[in-house]
Amino acid sequence: MSDSAVILLIEDEAQIRRFVRKALEDEGHQVLECATLAHSMAHVHESKPQLAVLDLGLPDGDGISFIRELRTQSALPVLVLSARSAEGEKIRALDAGADDYLTKPFSIGELLARVRALLRRNKAENSAPESAFSFGEVQVDLVRRQVARRGNLVHLTPIEYRLLCAMLSDAGKVLTYRHLLRAVWGNAHSESNHYLRIYVSHLRQKLEDDAAQPKHFLTETGVGYRFQI
Amino acid sequence: MNPASPTPPPHFAEILNSLGHPRNAIARMAWMVAICGLVTLLAWPLHKVIDPANVAMLYVLAVALVALRAGKIAAIMAAFLSTALLDFFFMFPRFTFTVGDVQHVVTLAVMLVVALIVGNLTIVLQRQTVAAVERERQAHALYQFASQLAGATTLEQVNNATRDFLHQSHNGRSVLLMRGDDKLLPLEPSHHLQSELQSAAAIAALRLQQTRHAQEGNDYWLFLPLHGSTYVRGVLAIDFGDAVPATVCAQQALYEAIAALVAIAAERLHFVEVAQRTQLQMTDERLRSAILAALSHDIRTPLTVLYGMADALALAQLPAAARETVAAMREQALRLNSMVSNLLDMAKLRAGNIRPNMEWQPLEEVIGASIKLLGDALAQHPVKVSLPADMPLLKFDAVLLERVLCNLLENAAKYAPPASSIGIGARVADGFAHISVRDTGPGFPPHKLGKVFDLFERGETESLVPGVGLGLAICRSIVAAHGGEIRAENCGGACVTFTLPLGEPPVIETEESDD
Repeated sequence: MSDSAVILLIEDEAQIRRFVRKALEDEGHQVLECATLAHSMAHVHESKPQLAVLDLGLPDGDGISFIRELRTQSALPVLVLSARSAEGEKIRALDAGADDYLTKPFSIGELLARVRALLRRNKAENSAPESAFSFGEVQVDLVRRQVARRGNLVHLTPIEYRLLCAMLSDAGKVLTYRHLLRAVWGNAHSESNHYLRIYVSHLRQKLEDDAAQPKHFLTETGVGYRFQI
Repeated sequence: MNPASPTPPPHFAEILNSLGHPRNAIARMAWMVAICGLVTLLAWPLHKVIDPANVAMLYVLAVALVALRAGKIAAIMAAFLSTALLDFFFMFPRFTFTVGDVQHVVTLAVMLVVALIVGNLTIVLQRQTVAAVERERQAHALYQFASQLAGATTLEQVNNATRDFLHQSHNGRSVLLMRGDDKLLPLEPSHHLQSELQSAAAIAALRLQQTRHAQEGNDYWLFLPLHGSTYVRGVLAIDFGDAVPATVCAQQALYEAIAALVAIAAERLHFVEVAQRTQLQMTDERLRSAILAALSHDIRTPLTVLYGMADALALAQLPAAARETVAAMREQALRLNSMVSNLLDMAKLRAGNIRPNMEWQPLEEVIGASIKLLGDALAQHPVKVSLPADMPLLKFDAVLLERVLCNLLENAAKYAPPASSIGIGARVADGFAHISVRDTGPGFPPHKLGKVFDLFERGETESLVPGVGLGLAICRSIVAAHGGEIRAENCGGACVTFTLPLGEPPVIETEESDD
């Protein structure tokens, strides 16, 4: 299979490892299981996995500092598994360099979708940047800096356009408020979450069918946004 | 341990006391006459050898003795009687009061003056001795009282010690009243103040922070405020019965000292209690968070496994019946998860250790997120969102408000008839945003409209629709934490409306257009 990848699964609960492994193997991936953080770093160096699935609640250490350490050595995409109502933990993990998260309990479909998105993104980063995007009824021409919906040009302000590009370039990935604020406004506004929320709502009104039930500019409550093609 | 209380050395006055103390005036006079007579009898056989001036010395001694034993008046009379006896028996001419020699006039006059002075001095000295002994006795009793209070571990013990001490040492009956808000409550309900006058005096002592006196019938009362470091902790009322008010007033400083001791003991006990309570609360809180964290991890792990396995099975090729079973397993696992989340959230909200992370944000966003989160649960019920175009930003915790909306939507989906739509609306009025979720179901039972937000309350007690009645209670707690209110109505179906305060949203600078 052309899509097959080596995936490192770091999780202390054997039963969770079992069904996640099964699901990933059914997709044609090769899975390396690891129950402790201590062994994980060695696996990263030896087996050169293309993706890591990491449970944040491991008994032998802090998953977040593991991610931070990993980021100093490798760009390996990390999908974090975490408990609900731990938004602070999710944000810290994402800011430390995790690429995405799943809230327990999660469905296999969701897991596979996230894994696919991360592997695809990883591959896309290694190829030439695309010059055009399209999602739903919207076409974005990155060269001419033009956005059209149902064939009609949509006027976006410079900030709206920058925000759209920031979200497009990380499509499928959760983007924290801090990340997006830095990408669009620079460091000056890194605490003004309401700016970001207003501009996301502008984009939704201009590009979504129903701004109250968006299909592309998704809210990750308490964490940030995710752009989904 | 208490240091051994020193026994005071036997005192001269006490030795004399042991000889018996003449009680009334007649006995004292008899004593006086007896002493003077005794001296006369003893001196008579020697009248030929001893000079009358020396016999006078014996009489002065007698007067001193009388003064010591029988008081001032007897001493003065003894002085005169002795002078008369000396003149009558020992001076020429004997057995008459006539004084033959001018020298004897001097002797008699000097003796009288000396006897009066000695008698008086003796009495003053004796009074001072008695007062000193009394003061020492009081100091000792106060010391013992203080050490009793120092060992007290409850207010009841303080009360008992005070009552016994005042009863034994001062013949008073004490009532200890402690402050509760702005009232005074007797420590022992059976020992309360019986009249309006007494209560009024006690309140006056509390408010004015001064000792108050009150006389009612035959009873003389003293009301002493118990001064704590920050406020008056209560009032010590003492009933002295028919004691002379002047005596009580003379000892007021002493009673105030007693009240100070009681106040210190009460305050010490108060702070001990505060410290204990705080420590208990801290331990309690730590335990609770530890239990919550453990519960949420330990319950979620098997739930995740259960859900994941059912989900994995659902992807496999299965016969229709098995597929249905697997779908039901998946659904039940999800429902269990939502119940556990609700329970844990409720526990956290009840414990009061949730601090809302308030941020300005559009309402639309959290509504969209809630609908997305519920996903399949709303598959049969399209949600119609109608918000005013100029809906202002609101300040709320998105995660908590998502919980409110999810619970309300889930509820609506449970009770609404299949394929009917659920409406979410909002309007701005009276400084609040009013957000409502409505369905076209049977609505709430009318008699339970006011109670649906109570913990473990459900519309129909034995309803076929599953749920533990926790969802609406959590909604109320969260809305209350935001400073809003939540209410249920029936308007062609169930309708729940909650409010959020508007406040003043931050200004967003409009971007300059680049065209």
